[in-house]
Amino acid sequence: MEDLLDKIAYALANLKDSSSLKKFINQAMKKKLPILEILEKGLRKGLSEVGRRYEAGEYFLSELLFGASMMEEAMKILAPQLRAEKLEKKGQIVLGTVRGDIHDIGKNIFKMFAEGAGFEVYDLGVDVDPENFVRTAIEKNPDVLGLSALLTTTTPEMKIVIEELEKAGIRDRVKVLLGGNAVTNQFGEEIGADAVALDAVQGVDFCKEWTK
Amino acid sequence: MKEPEGMTPRERMKNAMDFKKVDAIPWCESFYEETLIKLFSEGLPAHKIIDVEWAMSLDGHLLANWPKFMGFDPNSYFGCFNYMGCPVPVDIGPIPRFKQLKIREDAKYEEYIMETGARSRRFKKELGKITWYTMPQFLEFPVRDKKSWERYKKRLNPKDPRRYPKDWEKEGYLRLFDEYQNGPTTLTITGFYGFGAELMGIPNFNLAFYRDPELIEDMVSHWEYFTIESLREAVETFKDRIDLVFWWEDMAEKHGPNISPKLYKEFLLPHCKRVTKFLSKNKIHRIMMDSDGNTQPILDLVIEAGITGHWPLEVNSGMDVRTLRKRYGKKLFLAGNLDKREIVKGGEAMRKEIDSKLPLMKETGGYIAGLDHLVHVEFTLERFKEYADCLKEKLVIQ
Repeated sequence: MEDLLDKIAYALANLKDSSSLKKFINQAMKKKLPILEILEKGLRKGLSEVGRRYEAGEYFLSELLFGASMMEEAMKILAPQLRAEKLEKKGQIVLGTVRGDIHDIGKNIFKMFAEGAGFEVYDLGVDVDPENFVRTAIEKNPDVLGLSALLTTTTPEMKIVIEELEKAGIRDRVKVLLGGNAVTNQFGEEIGADAVALDAVQGVDFCKEWTK
Repeated sequence: MKEPEGMTPRERMKNAMDFKKVDAIPWCESFYEETLIKLFSEGLPAHKIIDVEWAMSLDGHLLANWPKFMGFDPNSYFGCFNYMGCPVPVDIGPIPRFKQLKIREDAKYEEYIMETGARSRRFKKELGKITWYTMPQFLEFPVRDKKSWERYKKRLNPKDPRRYPKDWEKEGYLRLFDEYQNGPTTLTITGFYGFGAELMGIPNFNLAFYRDPELIEDMVSHWEYFTIESLREAVETFKDRIDLVFWWEDMAEKHGPNISPKLYKEFLLPHCKRVTKFLSKNKIHRIMMDSDGNTQPILDLVIEAGITGHWPLEVNSGMDVRTLRKRYGKKLFLAGNLDKREIVKGGEAMRKEIDSKLPLMKETGGYIAGLDHLVHVEFTLERFKEYADCLKEKLVIQ
């Protein structure tokens, strides 16, 4: 059993072709390995290794995207059983690009990686009003609110969102994670964010840490 | 800046890029259109910036001369140059162009088919608000797979006569360059990563290296053929009258290059080499890569590809002229790298940033001064003037 799960993790971490990964998953399902084991000790272990190698500079964006897309494919195979077993998500993330900014590449990569890591992500899209962030945070009660901005001119919107969360009395209920080219750690500290993610992997690592 | 006797701005640029002696470090900037509009509103004198010439009216559709807006030249006003001061006129876009077409709109957004064929959404223009120049949100790209690539490829015929101006004639253009020489004569090339990412979008292009390597190989092979053949007439005509090749790639972000050294070496390097060899055979040696982000993990290969200079060297992404000079010496001329975030603060922070880099660059040569990207909208006119005055004084070599 361990051997098969290792093969799954290895195939994903080393970005072997998708058909090998699918073959191992099907074998694991045929052997009736618990779905949670396939997910945690196989796929997520492999994806986590992809993230580690990206952070270490061994992998780059192509590898990160390919790893996340292999994970997506694998999840489609597991989907019927996952639905049947009603597995709990790692946590919830509400995500969006702030008002006045319509860039979404970084946000979408983060979303892909976060979903692969087991989070439920509510993506509000781009050019999201502070009111919409706050309203959704109240409705969904997420663990993390992810705010993205590429333009330096739109980063002040992040501060507004945090102020609105405070006014609504829910700031202490949700971690605020900033991402995007325009943000820095210093800026995050200044506006009272919980963390600044310099890339998608780091962002997901913060989310994992907060939802342990 | 007082013009030193005997050295024209063009000569100064060429010498700087060749690590030869200069009387002053050259200075180049590019402005976002929205920054210019803001600066106009703060008192930048339009009559000194907007370039008007007598030309055939309605772009030649009426046989009559009439004053015509040719564009903006804020650089001369501030005493700097633009890399595109004197461009070589070859059209390397899709021909026929996709017609720019508005396909949808609501109260806030407009959706367009763009000239490259991408479908995008952008903010509607609002009077008094500058929101419509910023990069749009791309919704769909023209190349998705082999089939859509084959369709697109038909528009990339290098032999299409429309790639050169209607009045194309060698001697005439050489005279034109001499007459209007404003900084270097620049030939622009879209690099192999930039080309693919523009046609497929960054995520899809990056994924295709794994999902569909045959498509990637066909795309970059055609781009090599297209680049060399569409530029051949200009390159073989002008040869080293072309001072600089501006090689646009945009292949990295803050974390590092989008593409791994391994994939670059396997898929892009051979094609880059053949293009730079073609340029080199025609005595064109100054080839500067334009890429934002942290390119360092891939720079050895980029240099092996034949690139000899790099701009804008974003500080926010960990780029630093001092480190790069130490690592690459005269293999790479450097341009930009003055941290826009520090410069925009003015005063001591600005001076400190300039003084931390300029002395070494003056000593070692091979440097063109400038911000580490375009002049963005947070600059006020007063602050940019302060920067210009301070920098120009420090650029002169005693």
